[in-house]
Amino acid sequence: MSPTSDDVVRFGPRDRIEHALVMLIFFALALTGLPQKFHDAALSKTIVNVLGGIAQVRYLHRLSGVLFSAMTLLHLVSALAAVIAGRSRLSMVPGAKDFRDVVTTLRYYMRISEVRARFDRFDYKEKFEYWGIVFGGLIMITTGFALLYPIEVTRFLPGQIIPAAKVAHGNEGLMAFLVVILWHIYNVVFAPEVFPGSKTIFTGKISRERMRHEHPLEYARMFPEEADQVLGDDAADPARKKDG
Amino acid sequence: MIGMFSTKAWSAKRAFTLGLLAFLLAPIAALADEGRVTPESVDCLSCHGEPTLTVKLESGEEAPLFMKKELLAASVHEALRCTDCHAGQNQVPHPERHYKNLAQFRASFGEACKNCHFENYTKTLDSVHYGLQARGDVFAPTCVKCHGAHDIARPAQPRSRISQTCATCHRPISEAYAKSVHGKALLADRNPDVPVCTDCHRSHNIADPKSRAWLMNTPALCGKCHADDKLMRKYGLSTSVLSSYLADFHGTTASFGAKGRKTADEPVVALCVDCHGIHDIAKVTGASAPAFRANLVKTCSKCHKGASENFPAAWLSHYEPSLQRAPLVFMVKLFYQLIIPFIVGGLILQILLHLWRTVVNR
Repeated sequence: MSPTSDDVVRFGPRDRIEHALVMLIFFALALTGLPQKFHDAALSKTIVNVLGGIAQVRYLHRLSGVLFSAMTLLHLVSALAAVIAGRSRLSMVPGAKDFRDVVTTLRYYMRISEVRARFDRFDYKEKFEYWGIVFGGLIMITTGFALLYPIEVTRFLPGQIIPAAKVAHGNEGLMAFLVVILWHIYNVVFAPEVFPGSKTIFTGKISRERMRHEHPLEYARMFPEEADQVLGDDAADPARKKDG
Repeated sequence: MIGMFSTKAWSAKRAFTLGLLAFLLAPIAALADEGRVTPESVDCLSCHGEPTLTVKLESGEEAPLFMKKELLAASVHEALRCTDCHAGQNQVPHPERHYKNLAQFRASFGEACKNCHFENYTKTLDSVHYGLQARGDVFAPTCVKCHGAHDIARPAQPRSRISQTCATCHRPISEAYAKSVHGKALLADRNPDVPVCTDCHRSHNIADPKSRAWLMNTPALCGKCHADDKLMRKYGLSTSVLSSYLADFHGTTASFGAKGRKTADEPVVALCVDCHGIHDIAKVTGASAPAFRANLVKTCSKCHKGASENFPAAWLSHYEPSLQRAPLVFMVKLFYQLIIPFIVGGLILQILLHLWRTVVNR
């Protein structure tokens, strides 16, 4: 099977550009934000010095923050518009199946059962990361706004909002960083199935083989002629009858 | 030891000696007196003990050459010979020298101290005072301006003497200091723990207090005492003032050196002194607390223009967040202390399980 003739399109240009921008901005935010949280660390001092001092680091952080806010809001508004217009398949919306998939997958990992969960366009790991970025992003945007405009914000809200926002901003940012570094990078780079890294989000293409394996429900919709073969693989899957 | 006698006490003793023992013990008393200065000094004083002795300078000023014997005898240097400091004057008549004015005449002896006190002399070369001197300021302090010349005494006995010495030139600052929590404790209670001028500004290598490097060092400077557990416990003061400062926005900025400001006069960042004052530091607890609190909006507004009544609460006043002090901050902190290990731990566990299952499948 030659990969070129066999590839299917998974992500359109807009998704790819969005991912590339979020990736760059996320990196910039982490690079300029974490040294502020861990200001005692020697590495933080080095990073701040290399970037031209704390004032410069804060400027870059705020600039990246404003860009991230704009992107997030644009994404949400256009997603909402698509839902209202009925153009969205709501493939990212988590449902009961996702929770069952978590249980099925964990049971499989622990060798309690040999049944694998069968995923649609997005599996529960992808949905977890997407909504993590959305909700985490909204927390970062609102707390970041409070930290950027403390005088204006405390004109309407109690002063304690500011240190609370600082604690939330630093910790939420750290958590997002850890989730991306550990979970996302593992899933798309180091997991044995994709090692040395899946290029799908950059090229937009995925092999039919991987598609059939990782997103069988979507695959079955894309290639109805193979649906019986793909979905019939595992008659023992209890989730299939309900969700498939 | 003699340095500890004040001039007044010395005169009283002298009056007593003269009054009661003059007739009986005159020769012995005279010998005892002479024993307080070196024999060479006695020689010098045969001319310089004459109150009318002066020399006319090129500027027309008259330089007094009279030396009071009592002054020499009261000095910590009573064992030194005159020529130890006034080098090259052993010949009589003295070799001829030319001075334009009184200032130059005095300055010519200013460097004599370094022959013995080389370490402290070298330190002064880095001082703001030496900088003034180098620029030709005739009023700039030299060794003798602070320590005295012939009447040199121990500079820190008592400790309050240090502040008095600085007050010769820095009068308004000294008055502000005297009213501060530190100054009051020093002057009223002879407290040995509070800082005198030199504890913060150093004594010989006094830095320019308006320089950036000096300003940025103030948290460490105040922290020298205020983060000292043993010392602060004595006064019931918290030592977390430094760590809580450094953990917040201002302190973090300061610890990074606030480098990279766009313009030179852009404010550095709030340092200890910006909120607590410099020489007029007052207590923030007890009687002066209400005044300090009432002034907070004004204090914050120095940098945060347009700050409202709510704004000062944005700073937790060096307190750790707690359910009583700052419940919202406390709850948010607690939430993340629980959720981060839960989420991250859960994901790591899932990664490990996945890897394990992959290995089992092979």
